[in-house]
Amino acid sequence: MGTIAGAQNILAGLKGAGIDLVSSVPDINMLELINLLYQDKEIAHVPVGREEEGIGVCTGAHLGGKRPAMLMQNGGLLNSCNGLTTTALQFGIPVLLLIYYAGDIGDNAFHMVGLVTEPVLDALGIKTIVMRDPAKVKQDIAGAVTLASSSKRPVALLLTRAVL
Amino acid sequence: MAPLIKDELFVTTAGGATNEWNAVRPSDGNIQVKTLGLCSSIGLGLAIALPKRKIFVFDGDGALWMNLGSLATIGLHQPKNLIHICWDNKQYESSGGEPTVATAGNIDFAGIARNAGIISSRSANTVEELKEAVAHALNNDGPHFICANIEAGRAEAPPLKYDELENKYHFIRYIEETEGVSILRIPQSASYLLK
Repeated sequence: MGTIAGAQNILAGLKGAGIDLVSSVPDINMLELINLLYQDKEIAHVPVGREEEGIGVCTGAHLGGKRPAMLMQNGGLLNSCNGLTTTALQFGIPVLLLIYYAGDIGDNAFHMVGLVTEPVLDALGIKTIVMRDPAKVKQDIAGAVTLASSSKRPVALLLTRAVL
Repeated sequence: MAPLIKDELFVTTAGGATNEWNAVRPSDGNIQVKTLGLCSSIGLGLAIALPKRKIFVFDGDGALWMNLGSLATIGLHQPKNLIHICWDNKQYESSGGEPTVATAGNIDFAGIARNAGIISSRSANTVEELKEAVAHALNNDGPHFICANIEAGRAEAPPLKYDELENKYHFIRYIEETEGVSILRIPQSASYLLK
């Protein structure tokens, strides 16, 4: 489920980095964060049914002047690979990818998704930070948004349970 | 429908629709899409970011099949400024003419859209019906969905002027100029700031 403090820390990091639109597909470990997004008045929250839709929504939002992020589980990262490749990367779209790292070390489920997550991001050429330290959350989000903006590419933050 | 268009933005699906529309209405307000099916989602994001601007999406029956769930998502978010047209020629024409979900004639895209919450949803079977539907969409709050039932067949159209990157830059600059906003925000280099 994550903790309220973890969710508040991430939300504050997103706002501090200028993120003003988040598209999402839920995961139980991001429940508190998604609940905050539903209540928040500053960030436009755009739930979608499938993660690749969210890559499209974030792309359109960027073209229209928003700073978007896509919140999803790593299974959803796999669902969105074509959109990431032939839209986000091919058109040069800065999108912050906030990905819950299911199947991470210490997780007793989703091990196959966990095993392929970092190799897939690497193959896509998407710079990735694995977030394990709550004290570095704001710094990592700000750094990722800066790099996404200057490189005009998606940048990924893998959210482990330690920061949620 | 091109004579009805002013400064509206167009998101056009991978396939022939992009070349043909750019031949009819050459404009930096057109953006091409390279991911089959994603035009409706990109249009939704654009419509949410620019709620006062009319956004057209040109979809196809094969592309819409690939992202049919986007109709539900558009129905959920109810963007008033989105006009989603599916050019339904009942085949994957750009892929060589293979059948799509629409070929057998069982599917009712406009009915699906309406039942997903896109209340202003209709089919157009003639040029006059299409013009009437587009005029209605331009003059009323949406979201709007129009299934335009068309014959297969390609029109003569020149290749696109821009690749996807140049298209993106022109499209964003066009929005910046017409909306009076800054989107690209090229950062000042750190070495300059130090002075």
